Amino acid sequence: MHFRILSQARVRRDIKTRETVSATELIRQAYRYITRNEQVHPRIRQQAQLMLNAFPSHARPTTIRNRCTETGRARGIFRDSRLCRYQFRLKALNGEIPGVKKAVW
Amino acid sequence: MASISTPSKMRLAQLAQLSAKIFNNIYNPTGERTGNKILRKRLIGSTVTEWYPKRIITLRKITDTFPDMKLINQEEKLRLEEIAKRKKRGKGAPKKGQGKRASLGTKKKK
Repeated sequence: MHFRILSQARVRRDIKTRETVSATELIRQAYRYITRNEQVHPRIRQQAQLMLNAFPSHARPTTIRNRCTETGRARGIFRDSRLCRYQFRLKALNGEIPGVKKAVW
Repeated sequence: MASISTPSKMRLAQLAQLSAKIFNNIYNPTGERTGNKILRKRLIGSTVTEWYPKRIITLRKITDTFPDMKLINQEEKLRLEEIAKRKKRGKGAPKKGQGKRASLGTKKKK
């Protein structure tokens, strides 16, 4: 594993996002439950919605971006290996990813 | 024999209510949104934070805790050597206030 990517600003931003999501997840879900529950008084639901809006934007799980753990690339990532397609190819050819073999027929 | 007739709506509702009570289901005839699908979801925090590799131990920590071992950080040593070499040739970093941007500012002031 290369730790060099940890110095990349976008990777660090993503790490921060993940930490914020993890820290605020429980309370956010509680507010979300209140806003979506039609059995609760509308005024309380509205207040819960306002509380949700007050969270920082990186508290939302959709702002998380899966990045390559070798290069920090944001596109073409294999979720299983957490690598971008080129790094995956390099490592697979090198035999560093167990169970992956180049197809020949 | 009594003729078989369909039960009234009220009776059917009562049946549904009772069945929900017996089978521990929620009786919700109007299909009101309760937000239960949010509570049903699994929390993702713990899995989401472990995507990137974490640097648990750094060389600095080891050298600080065991100063007797006299370990050398090769990368840092090379960096310092390179800086010393550049300085010798007069290519080192300028002092504070002597850089390109700082001198530009002073020129403007004049």
